[in-house]
Formats: sequence, C-alpha cells, structure tokens
Amino acid sequence: MSNTLRVLRVHLVTWPGLLIWPWAILATSFLVNLAVFGAVHAQQANDDGFTGGMASIYCVVLVICAQWAAQVFPLTLGMSATRRSFYAASALLLLGGSLGYGVLLYLLSLVERATDGWGVSMHFFGLEFMAGHGALAILMYTVPFLVFGFIGLFTGLVHKRWGVNGLFSLALGALVVFGGGTALVTWQGRWHAIGHWFTSQSAVALMAGWPAILAALLAAAGYLAVRRATA
Amino acid sequence: MSTVVAAQGVSKRYGDLRAVDGVSFTIRENTIYGLLGRNGAGKTTLMQVLTGQTTASGGTLKVFGASPYENQAVLSRVCFIKESQRYPDGFKVRHALSSARLLFPYWDEQFAQELLHDFELPPGRSVKKLSRGMQSSLGIVVGLASRAPLTLFDEPYLGLDAVARQLFYDRLLADYAEHPRTVLLSTHLIDEVSNLIEHVLLIDRGKLIVDDEAEALRGQVLTLTGPSAAIDELITPAAGRELRRERVGGLTRATLRGPLAPAERSRAQALGLDLRPISLQQLVVGITASGTPSTDGHPSGAQPGTESKEASR
Repeated sequence: MSNTLRVLRVHLVTWPGLLIWPWAILATSFLVNLAVFGAVHAQQANDDGFTGGMASIYCVVLVICAQWAAQVFPLTLGMSATRRSFYAASALLLLGGSLGYGVLLYLLSLVERATDGWGVSMHFFGLEFMAGHGALAILMYTVPFLVFGFIGLFTGLVHKRWGVNGLFSLALGALVVFGGGTALVTWQGRWHAIGHWFTSQSAVALMAGWPAILAALLAAAGYLAVRRATA
Repeated sequence: MSTVVAAQGVSKRYGDLRAVDGVSFTIRENTIYGLLGRNGAGKTTLMQVLTGQTTASGGTLKVFGASPYENQAVLSRVCFIKESQRYPDGFKVRHALSSARLLFPYWDEQFAQELLHDFELPPGRSVKKLSRGMQSSLGIVVGLASRAPLTLFDEPYLGLDAVARQLFYDRLLADYAEHPRTVLLSTHLIDEVSNLIEHVLLIDRGKLIVDDEAEALRGQVLTLTGPSAAIDELITPAAGRELRRERVGGLTRATLRGPLAPAERSRAQALGLDLRPISLQQLVVGITASGTPSTDGHPSGAQPGTESKEASR
C-alpha cells in the first residue's frame, strides 16, 4: 500500500494540471453556452435546453488518464516501481478525483437549479431526469468519470503494450461489436424493445449503476494490459 | 561476498532475434562491473531483464535472491538509469528529483542537491528543454543519489563532454568508497572506465564471451606481431587461447590470452616477434570486431567465451 501511495504522489508531482485543465475547459464551455443562451433568451423566452457542454470535462479526464499510461507509467516503471503499483495508484487517484469532481458538479447543479438556469433557463450541469435524487446524484456525476478515465487508461496501456496495431485492433473490435450490434438490432426490428428497456431503467441505474459495471470491466481490462506492458 | 545477481541461461527473444542468448553469470556485492559490447550486442536488453523492465524469454534470474519482475522488494533496491528515460510533459528538473525521492528508498537528498550543483543543472528548467548532455547529467544525479544497492547505468554519458564525464567517474568512485554498492555500467568508452571497473562482462551478439576480473584482463592479453611463419611456429591456433589472428601480406598479428610461458617468451624474442600487452579497449575491439574469424574458422570470441568461464571458476 505504501508503494501505491508513493506512486500516487508521483502522479501528483505536477498536480495543478490535473485541476486546471478540466475546469478551465469546462468553464470555457460554460461561458460559451451562457453567451449563446443569453442571446437566445433575450429574443425568445422559455426554452429549457440541456447544452451537453458538460461532456467536455469527461473527455478531458479521459485524455489525462491516457497520458498517465503514456507518460507517468514509463517514469514510475523506469524508477523501479512495479506495474501493479502504477495501476493501483492510477485507479485510486481516478476514484478520488472522480468523487471530488462529482461532488463539485453536483453542487454546481444545485446552484443552477436555484438560479433558474443561471437566469437564462440553461441546463448545463443538470439534466431534468437526474433531479430529485438528492445526494445520489453525486454518483450519477462520479461514475461516468470512472468510465471515461478507465477507457483512457486502458487504451493508453494497450498502446504501451501492443503499439499502434493494438489500438487499431481495439478500434476494429469496437466497430464489430457496436456496428454489428446495431445491424443486428435493426435487422431484428428490436429498437423499440431497447428504447423501452432504457425508459424502464431508473436514472440512477442508467447514470451510475450500469456505468459502474462498465467501469469495473474496463478497470479489469486495463489491469490485464498493464501486467506485461513495457515503457 | 554475497551474490546480488545470479543468471542461468537467461535469454530474451524478439521474434527471430535472440537479443540475449543464454547468458550465465553472477554479480557480486559491492563491486563495479563493466558491461561491454558493441551496439546491438544485447547490453540494454540484458539490463532491462535484470531490472524487471521486461521479462526474460528463458533461463532463471535471481536478483537479491528472487525474480525481479513485478517484485517490489527487489526493485526497491535497484536503480536503472537508461539513456532512453522519458519524463512527462511539463516536468522540470525538480519534478524529476521529487519523483526519484519518492520512489527510491535509499535516496539522499543532500547528495542530490550537491550533484545538481556540480553538474550545473537548473532545477526550474523543463526536462524537455535540457540539452542531450544535461539530460544525461540528470540521469547521473538520479542514479548516484538513489544509492540503490544495485545501480545500473546504461551508457550514461551521451552528450557529456570530457569534463562532465570525469566528474561522473570521480563522484561515482568517491561515493562508492563511502557507500559501497554494486554498480553495473555499460559503456563504449572503455579506456575511460578501465581503471574504474573491477570486473568485465563482455557480450557479443547476445552471448557472454568474457566474464573476468578487469585486473586479469589488463595484464594478460597481448599481441604478438611478426612473420607469419614464426607466429605459426610459436602459437598453434588449437591451443584455445588465441582470440584473433590477422594476416597482412607475410605478417601476422595474433591476439592471445597470456601469460606466455618463459620458454615461449624467450622463443618469441629469438624469432624477433614484437610482444606487447593491450588495453581493455583494444581487447574488446579485437574480439568483437565483426566478420573477422580467427584462422581456425571459429567466429571470433567463440573460444575465449568457453575458456574465460573455465578460467573464472
């Protein structure tokens, strides 16, 4: 455990980047959306809209985790830390960071609701269907971070271990699974059933429950990739 | 003296390439080893296997009594400084040192600061903006200040001028005297380190061909130059101590493992042969130069490999 903590502190040696980039990009996205909504709101009142701008911070976290695999991993491995402790430290930091960011996003969603969408009916931090779950909403913000983060770690480690061919194989596999699945569902005419399944799920299950399972699978895949990865 | 590394038939294959091909050797505690060999001989690969950076394809390897791969107990006593070490974007010199301080349990911060000063490394400089030589200096600072019981330097001097290299040798020796540890140094600048290293491991095309005390090698290897007929009379290739034989016109130069018996010595004088000891560097060049088999048809180095193992037992 102490080894893991030491590696975790190496992750944090340049910690400002872990805070500044996600929030600077999110803030910029927020301000751009606010400007657009403000302009639209001045012309026509009453248009509740979700911007989708929050996706930016999730993508930044994905990139940060991929960078861990690309840059922090060669450093810690080169300085005599094991692959295991690198991975445990990365997972731990992702977990803690996701929770912290989830809480912040939740608090911002409360502000958003209290100010009636920042005065311009803009839903930036909160989706309508996520409301009314109280503090459980924190999980709905946190778990998707884990999914994005572990995607970043996993793909970064695949690149370390198998190079560009590994990444292309991964893309090919994803294409077969998702493209093939889409074709199959369309061919079978099952879209209605799938839509029904989605609407039957609670918001917590959709945003936290199922993503948690996905994150766990990705975490396991990343662990398998790191075990014999080389810097 | 206790054994730090014990390798038995250790191999590393990349597809068809046998980068390290069944090497067996031991490394003793508190000794400075030189790992010599040409580019692509397998030095770096061997060091990567020794430090768990990669797995061996075959053989058994024990470092501090256990396999190094993913073994934190072993790795925390090991420091591997390699030329190819990369640091994350945005890392400054002080960030690299902070990471080393966190990860090497024997780290000496005061010594690190002294070395930083000696090598004139600005702590606030971005690692990416360091010159080639300064990056090498950073590696040297980390390697020395880590005080790891087993420290490996893989060609640590790239881009360093002669003054900085001398500084490295001086600081290494001084610190080694105060804090004995095992050092494995791979280098091409053999003459520069020949007084530093106590034991020589020479690998060629993945095979270990010399495993000997540096002292023994320095005194023992000699060249004998003179008319081919005279050399042929004195030294029969089958004797197994010949490392290399070159013929130019009617002249032959034979490189052999000495010492010569007194009778041989006086006979050589009587035949008018030129007899002189050679440096470690000349020895390495002599037995690893490619495509120059000795006259008995064996690839150069094949025989001394077996011989040196016997000699060292």
